[in-house]
Amino acid sequence: MSQTEARPIITDLNPMSPISEAYRTLRTNLQFASVDRTLQLLMVTSASPREGKTTTINNLAVAYAQSEKSVILVDADLRKPTAHQTYNLSNRCGLTNVLTGQAAAADAIKETQISHLSVLPSGLIPPNPSELLGSRKMDQLLEELRSRFDIVLIDTPPVLAVSDAQVMATRCDGVLLVVNARSVKRQQAVKARDALQFVQANIVGVMLNQTSSRDVGAYYEYSQ
Amino acid sequence: MTTELDLKHYISIIRKRIWIVALVVVLGTAAAGVISYMLIKPVYQAYTKLIVNSPNIKAGMLQLDLNAINTNISLINTYKEIIRTPAIMDLVVQKHPEFGVTTEELMQKITFSSVNGTQVVTLTYTDHDYKKAANIVNAISEVFQEQIPQIMMVDNVYLLHMAKVEKMPSPVKPNPKVNMAISFVLCFLLGIGIILLLDYFDDTIKTEADVERALGLPTLGAVPSIKQGDLKRKRRKSTISAKAGEASHVSN
Repeated sequence: MSQTEARPIITDLNPMSPISEAYRTLRTNLQFASVDRTLQLLMVTSASPREGKTTTINNLAVAYAQSEKSVILVDADLRKPTAHQTYNLSNRCGLTNVLTGQAAAADAIKETQISHLSVLPSGLIPPNPSELLGSRKMDQLLEELRSRFDIVLIDTPPVLAVSDAQVMATRCDGVLLVVNARSVKRQQAVKARDALQFVQANIVGVMLNQTSSRDVGAYYEYSQ
Repeated sequence: MTTELDLKHYISIIRKRIWIVALVVVLGTAAAGVISYMLIKPVYQAYTKLIVNSPNIKAGMLQLDLNAINTNISLINTYKEIIRTPAIMDLVVQKHPEFGVTTEELMQKITFSSVNGTQVVTLTYTDHDYKKAANIVNAISEVFQEQIPQIMMVDNVYLLHMAKVEKMPSPVKPNPKVNMAISFVLCFLLGIGIILLLDYFDDTIKTEADVERALGLPTLGAVPSIKQGDLKRKRRKSTISAKAGEASHVSN
């Protein structure tokens, strides 16, 4: 599975690509998505695996970082963590270590080669991820991150697979639901939405991934 | 959704998968061609023409009587039934054992038709072998002509035209060109049907409109599949000092 390899982030490698522009559009839309409160703690999830959650969150993180906001990407996908590989970081000390009290948040947060972008890798995979994510310690950690960074992006497992996403959704300002235009069935997407709304999560919107490129429209090329 | 948008939607769906139509049409038409040219045994038709006309019994009455004509036309319907009875067909089978046909077969393959309002009737026989068909239809006509005076007590059937055995007409069926044309049209419709059906059963969420309809949520972004080519222009720009939307000025 390609999930285990480091994946390139297009907004970093090729900022002029129409696809990078699409991510910047997403960033802009997110800034205007909620009027009342700022979306400082944003969670990204999807109905099923391999819909493009992690790709989206990585690109969104870089897009935010490019607008000179201090961004932290929290890899809360404790089932299949990938952030440490993507950014070439050590995973020996990460989110789980902070949650179990073995390390301080400051030690676990790592700077990346991309300026303004920090990453909190998953740490070692625990046997009880849902309990860890729902712990009091998590609330404290999120508060701390809130005070230190402009934007906190949280990567989570798929909604329909495990309850982690629901647990996290209650703690976030907003949830971005990634929908894969090729693979996800309508019922799955609806189920995922219902699961998130059931826990009173604030779903700010949908990120449509892997649309057929013809639908994108030529005006994205405008920037080139 | 307005009707116009609906139509546009369907056209775009069909255009996206037009290759299915092309494939179905090519395969279907080719199959129709192969079947008509190679597999179906050609069927030939031989026919004779008879006229039903009562002789004028009264001497000196030369001109045609409308009543008599109408009587003859009515008789044609009677003959139509008579010719399908074993009374005629058994005799044909007895007289011509060389055909190797049964009474039932003859009754099945013979057609007796008349153009409305005329006294001329056409006897048609279809078979895979034209010569056989011609011989049979001639034999039937002759027997029919012989038997009518006995059955109806009136001698009013005359053979106008016998089927020519030597002639080799083109088969009446199959007609490969017509078959292929029909197959073309049907396959075209079938292809479009398949596309619409595929679209109907495809319940993935494809567009922003689908998102709105299925989830009732706004779409904040849409990203096409990232291909290797998109990543190629490696201008590593880890430190972009541009604000949102101004990236293009910086990198150029």
